[in-house]
Order: sequence, then C-alpha cells, then structure tokens
Amino acid sequence: MIIDQQKIDEAVNTIIGYGGHGILNCVQCGACSAICPGVRAGFPLLCRNLIRHLLNGELEEIIEDSSSWGCQACNRCTEVCPRDVRPQEVVFAFRRYQANELAFSTSSITSQMNLYETGHAVYTDPRAARKRVGLPEETPTSAFDEQAKQEIQTLINNSPMGELGLF
Amino acid sequence: MEKIGLYLGCNIPLKAPDIEQSFRKILPALGIEPVDLQGASCCPAWGTAPSFDLNTWCALSSRNLTIAEALGVDVMTGCNSCFGVLSEAKHFLEDADRRKAVNASLATINREFKGTSDIYHVAHVLHRKVGAEKIRENLKYSLDGLKIAVQPGCHTLWPSDVYKVKEQNPYYPTILRELCEATGATVPHYSRLESCCGMGGMRSTDVEKSLRLFKDKLQSIKDETDADLIVTTCSSCFLQFDMSQPILKERGLIDFEPIPTLYYTQLLALAMGFDPSQVAAVSQIDRSAIIAEIQSEKRLIKEVA
Repeated sequence: MIIDQQKIDEAVNTIIGYGGHGILNCVQCGACSAICPGVRAGFPLLCRNLIRHLLNGELEEIIEDSSSWGCQACNRCTEVCPRDVRPQEVVFAFRRYQANELAFSTSSITSQMNLYETGHAVYTDPRAARKRVGLPEETPTSAFDEQAKQEIQTLINNSPMGELGLF
Repeated sequence: MEKIGLYLGCNIPLKAPDIEQSFRKILPALGIEPVDLQGASCCPAWGTAPSFDLNTWCALSSRNLTIAEALGVDVMTGCNSCFGVLSEAKHFLEDADRRKAVNASLATINREFKGTSDIYHVAHVLHRKVGAEKIRENLKYSLDGLKIAVQPGCHTLWPSDVYKVKEQNPYYPTILRELCEATGATVPHYSRLESCCGMGGMRSTDVEKSLRLFKDKLQSIKDETDADLIVTTCSSCFLQFDMSQPILKERGLIDFEPIPTLYYTQLLALAMGFDPSQVAAVSQIDRSAIIAEIQSEKRLIKEVA
C-alpha cells in the first residue's frame, strides 16, 4: 500500500478527537495484544493491529470491521502498556468513529433505545421477579422515575448521540 | 452505622433481584446501611454512550454520582462494569476543561458534579470496611470443606490507576479469595484465575468467540480445582457462568455437570442463614443441592452463649 501522510494525519486526528490521545506513543511492541482477551478470542483488529492500521492512515478502509465492538473494555492493555498509549481508549475512539458514521450492528440499537426510554441499557420488566424475592416491585432507579427519565433524555438529546437520528 | 449509596445498575435490580436482596440482607447485619440512590440510571454501559461520545458518557455517569453527592454518601456498585464505567468517568472529569463542559450539560438538568463521592465495589466494602473477622463473627453456617473457584472479573482490576481500591497485584487478585476464605471454605488457585469469561461486548458481538474463551476458563476451573461451586463478584460474569455452562453441556463441549455459581453476597447471605428463596432464587443451573449443603444442620456454628 502507498503511505499517504494526509491520510495518516486524518486517521490520527480522528482518533485523538474521539479520545484516543495516546495513539502516537505506540511503538508496536504488542504487549497489549498479548494480553487482550479479544485478540485471544480471534478478533482481528484490536490493540496493536488496530493501531498499526490507523497509523498507516487506514480509517474508512476498516470502518466495517466489528472487532472494536468485541472489546471487553477490560483495560488489561492500559495496565500493561509501557508507553502510556491507553490502547483501550484508542479502540473506543475508533468505535466512536464507527458509531458516529452509523457503522455498527443494528442489534446494538436496542440498548441505545432502552437507555433513552428507561435509563437502563438492559431492560426487562422486573416486577414479578422482584416480588418473588421479597423486594418492592418497582426499582428505585430511573425505570420507575419520570423525572430521572426526562433528565436522561435531555442529556442525550443535547449530545452528539441525539443528532444521529436514533431516537 | 456507616451509610453507603447503593448503586444498582441494570442487571442486578432487573434480572437478578435476588442479588440485590442479598445486599439488603447482609449489609445492615455487618454494620453498613445501604442508601437508595433514587433515580439512578445505567452507568452507562460500555456499548451505549461510551461507544458514541466521551462527554455524554461522563454526563450520564456523573449524573448518577451527583445523586450520591447530594446525600453525602460514597457509591457502592455490585456490577464490575458499573464500577469500571463510573470510576473511569470520574477519572476523565479530573480534566478541568472536560469537567466544565460536562457541568454545562448537567446544568440543563439542574445538577452539578463536584467529585465528592468515592466509588467502591461491594467486594471492597466487605473486604476493607467490614473485614474478614466481622464476616466470620456473623456466620451461621461454616463452609469448612467446601471448595470454591473464584471469578473476580475484569473491571475491578484494570486500569488500576483510576480505582479507589486496588489489588496489590491485579494479575493475581486476592480480595475475593480472602472474602470466600472468611466463610471457612477452601479456595484453590487455578491458572486462568484472572482471565476473561467472555461476557460483555464480546458475547453480544460474537457469541461463538465468547463461548470459546469461556470454555477455556471453565475447563481450567474443573481440571485444576474440581470446585463444588463458583463464586464471583461480577454480575456479568455471574450471568455468563450461569447461562453458558448449560449451553456447553448441551453441545457436548464439556463432559461434566454445570458447576453451580453464586454471586459472593449470595454465598455470604446463605452462610449467614438468610432465606434462599429471597437471596439465591434466580438461576438457570439448579443450585438446590449446594444451597442445601451450605445450610445443612451439620454446618451450624454453635451460638455463643
């Protein structure tokens, strides 16, 4: 492939803009990948390899790859990185780039809708189960609190998430 | 009695309310008063706002923290992911510019993040604030002779620089082991102790990859410990161990019966004599035999006269 400085700058600036501030510290040592459960499970573009592609100026070329969504956010990579790259933040920055281009699985839309409507990413009606174990049927959380739900919707509506047209 | 804000998250109050009930039973008996954080929401989970926008993540997380701040209490989570998400958001909010931007968002809902509440996991509260001795004093049943494999999970371990309470060595965690040992049980080491169970984003993105990782871990537990039960302090790990062992069994990928799994506070609530139909009632794997064993008459500790 041809290395194009303009494309490298675009990729690096995009990642830094989405929170991957340490990307340029990376020396490709691979400590992150050696310890990453996602890499072990077989996701091709995480940690060192994702950073390599980004530092070669690839961004749109890899936008459809789902590896970043397989990241467990466990931060083993951050702990082990000798260069303070905080690789998980690079992976999440790339995921944010994908998300803001709407390049993500439709199955993840359910959790965004749940969060917006109930304040819980995972929501199932808990009342019968709670009653069975002797708890009040309604949780003290946003799910049964109208003001809390309004607050969450206000925060999301006024954010970049609100501009994606999901809600 | 020391008060602490009970941050419930999603899975515990909605899918595993018996875990919530176990918190509410054991904590007051151990000198900790859990206080509800009325109107708290999702932390928000990694796959939601953190995957879209850093400041929206921080705004939603810090909204939860402001509820505790108003009550003058620290926050205690039961879910490792919640612990990680809230701790990281608080870490990001140490950046003055970010805090200003996030507080501008919070102002639209009449809130302000001040950063006055610390974030703990229930394992930290039990280990640091309650302590093994007080746990031992409150046992009704001794778990002497039972063999437990522990599953600490990921998000209380790394990155250690953002957490209020850290393990001495996050690659060799000891907090959960010591909590289990306080019940009298034996907790053998196994080589994949700190490895990932495969739940979380990995499971929703590619269930087959998740199950492969899970099987490696589970096989290691079986071969190296032959444990009577698995105990975790992560509600996501709990769900993976409880729902995926039967899948592996059904597919013929393991040749042993699924190992019953309990969240740590459920184990402790049972050992303290609380009613299993309230504190350990929701699971795919049949746990009745291990629960009967834990609460069997021969394990009764004689009351001090």
